[in-house]
Amino acid sequence: MSDNLARVSFAVDEAEFETPAPAHRGFRLVSSAPNHRARPRIFYAFTAVAGVAAIIVAQLLLSVGISQGAYEISSLQSSQAELGRTAASVNEDLVRVSSPQSLAANAEGLGMVSNSNPVYLRLSDGAVLGAPASASGSQAGAASLVPNALLAGSEPLTQAPAAAKASAGAVAITSAPVVPAGLAAPTTR
Amino acid sequence: MSVRTSSARKNSTASRSSRRRTVSTILVLFVVVSVFLVRLVDIQVVQADSLTADSVGNRSVGQVVYGSRGEILDANGVVLASTVMRYNITMSPVNATPFTRTVDGKKVEISVADAAAEIGAATGQTGDAILLTISTALEANAKANFAYIAQKVDVDVLRAVQDLHIPWTYSENSPSRVYPNGAVAGNILGYLSGEGVPQAGLESGQDACLASTNGSETYEKGADGVRIPGSSVTGSEAVDGGDVITTIDSDLNWFVQQTLAARAQETGAAWATAVVQDAKTGKLLAVADYPSVDPNNVGGTENPEDRGSRAFTQSFEPGSTLKALTAASVLDAGVATLDTGVVAPYRYLPANGANINDSHAHADQRMTLTGVLIDSSNTGMSKFGEMLTNQKRYDYLKAFGVGTATESGFPREDSGILHPVEEWDNQTSYATMFGQGLTTTALQVSSIYQTIANDGVRMPVQLVEGCRQADGTITNVPETTGTRVLSEKAANETSDVLEMVYQNSWVSSIWEIPGYRVAAKTGTAQMPDGKGGYSSGYLVSVSGFAPADDPQYVVSVSIADPVKLNTSAAPAPVFQEIMSQVLKKYRAVPSGATAPDLPSTW
Repeated sequence: MSDNLARVSFAVDEAEFETPAPAHRGFRLVSSAPNHRARPRIFYAFTAVAGVAAIIVAQLLLSVGISQGAYEISSLQSSQAELGRTAASVNEDLVRVSSPQSLAANAEGLGMVSNSNPVYLRLSDGAVLGAPASASGSQAGAASLVPNALLAGSEPLTQAPAAAKASAGAVAITSAPVVPAGLAAPTTR
Repeated sequence: MSVRTSSARKNSTASRSSRRRTVSTILVLFVVVSVFLVRLVDIQVVQADSLTADSVGNRSVGQVVYGSRGEILDANGVVLASTVMRYNITMSPVNATPFTRTVDGKKVEISVADAAAEIGAATGQTGDAILLTISTALEANAKANFAYIAQKVDVDVLRAVQDLHIPWTYSENSPSRVYPNGAVAGNILGYLSGEGVPQAGLESGQDACLASTNGSETYEKGADGVRIPGSSVTGSEAVDGGDVITTIDSDLNWFVQQTLAARAQETGAAWATAVVQDAKTGKLLAVADYPSVDPNNVGGTENPEDRGSRAFTQSFEPGSTLKALTAASVLDAGVATLDTGVVAPYRYLPANGANINDSHAHADQRMTLTGVLIDSSNTGMSKFGEMLTNQKRYDYLKAFGVGTATESGFPREDSGILHPVEEWDNQTSYATMFGQGLTTTALQVSSIYQTIANDGVRMPVQLVEGCRQADGTITNVPETTGTRVLSEKAANETSDVLEMVYQNSWVSSIWEIPGYRVAAKTGTAQMPDGKGGYSSGYLVSVSGFAPADDPQYVVSVSIADPVKLNTSAAPAPVFQEIMSQVLKKYRAVPSGATAPDLPSTW
């Protein structure tokens, strides 16, 4: 195998050496002016001018488009800023009415009292953990002693809004008479 | 010949004049060109930079991009302090002239007085006040181009003013700080000055986390005021501050403040503090001060001392609440047991020359440690305390954190006073057993009870969970490794003794929480008069923890100089209400296990 390869490569080398060098060709004079000059045709001129015109028009349209976009962006940005301000302002209101002072005042305004005596019912064995007692409403009626300047001017609720009342009433009506007569009361063990 | 000559002369004259003309033309041209050239080089090379800058300056608008100061949050993410954008309404007094406005298609001339009245209606001022602002500004400077109409108004006012379309009014952004929960934890949060410089509390102590960096931006705008696209150049990026997450529960803090303030007002107290601490972790769940400050309206709290947090910065002689520490030390050192008895006289004159007496006259009593704490007997406590050397007791006091500011990191926190043992005189050696002759803050007292409640391991007092960066990582997380101060046995025995105190103290009907096992101790300490002696006022306090069989919460209430009720009956109901609320809020279910019954006499 390797023998064969060596022979072939030798033969190629030989062939290259045997090829005669090509003879040099003499230089030849070329007339300085071409025999007939290609006359510029109106077509090319027209094409060039049209091309330039097209580029100018395209560029003009593009810049009109961009500046139109700039106006659009500007107006959208300002409306975004305005909406951002609205969102921030509404969020501020929400956080303010979520403050403990506001919640407590409203809960008390609606007649709720806090029971500071927790009692737990353990479901596994029904054991009552803690000593049950009725709510004394220790906090009720006390003016807020933890001021919040942000709540100035907002009045706590003294009754549920009309809409909430109406829906509560509707729920009561629909849910009242559903228990069929004669059904045994469930026995809880 | 003569003709030729004259003609030749004429020719030569003509050619000479023509050459002169050419030369002069060239010269003139050269001069003109060189003038242009010089000007060109001057404009394009010499002055190029400044002219470019000028042109950009004429077209471009620079503005501050405000970085937002970080929020302060409570443990549940409720915002306690946040940054909101407010607006300053400004005007150009020199341009304050009548203008025309189109109303329903008709042009109406609006006078300055009318415009001022309209602005006033929007900003809540009188028109005259605004006219006065204009005239004052013009008096000071006839060409005054800037004056404030109103500062830090909200967006509703800003829009009302903008809708008036008065050509000489403008607005600018002015970031402000709001505290949505008002005075809830206000004493801890602190506040900023009008210029936004932190003044107190966490705003000051955590400023490194909260502070933001303002950036700048310039853009070019056309004659119609529209921003030229692609012309924005950001000078420097605005960097928002991080959020400080505290361990405080804002709802609980409100309840504690409300309850404390009600009792403090009822008893005519000078000031009061209440601390709720997690017994297992040392985290502060609520820190209440009376009087409290609303950081939204700092000026509404007149006394500057009421604007800080006394729970951190005011130390006082704790009185009998410290007897729990002495009892724990004695039990831990093993020099006495729960069965050890002493004879407690009304007056005890130890060998070193001190003079100890109880608060009320009584015959000699044969008491155990339990009995001494139930009756809060100074003489009995002295007899137990002297079983330990002064140095040993000093070491225990130090280990409990007395005399060292806590780990809370609150600015200007008081360390309290614990003199080196060499400086204790005869009386101080005994007084330190029952909480006089040394001072502690409310926080340090709470920490002492936390140590006893947590099986003898003192946890670092923690107010801040850490600083939450923009990418959500929490940095500056405080150390939370506890140190053992007492053996578990000594801590539990002390807890049992304190539970006996809770059941049998003279205020036990006041502080009873039905269904729960509670350990607590009262304190009634004389207050210094500031002249080296004691005033007639008392600092009354209650500290304790619950549920006693598996302590989870420590509550410490201190009321200073309640003139209408100067006994521990003043803080006891506050302790009861706060502890009930804590147990209810965190669903600490009573175990139903029976309380220990230890002998109090022998």
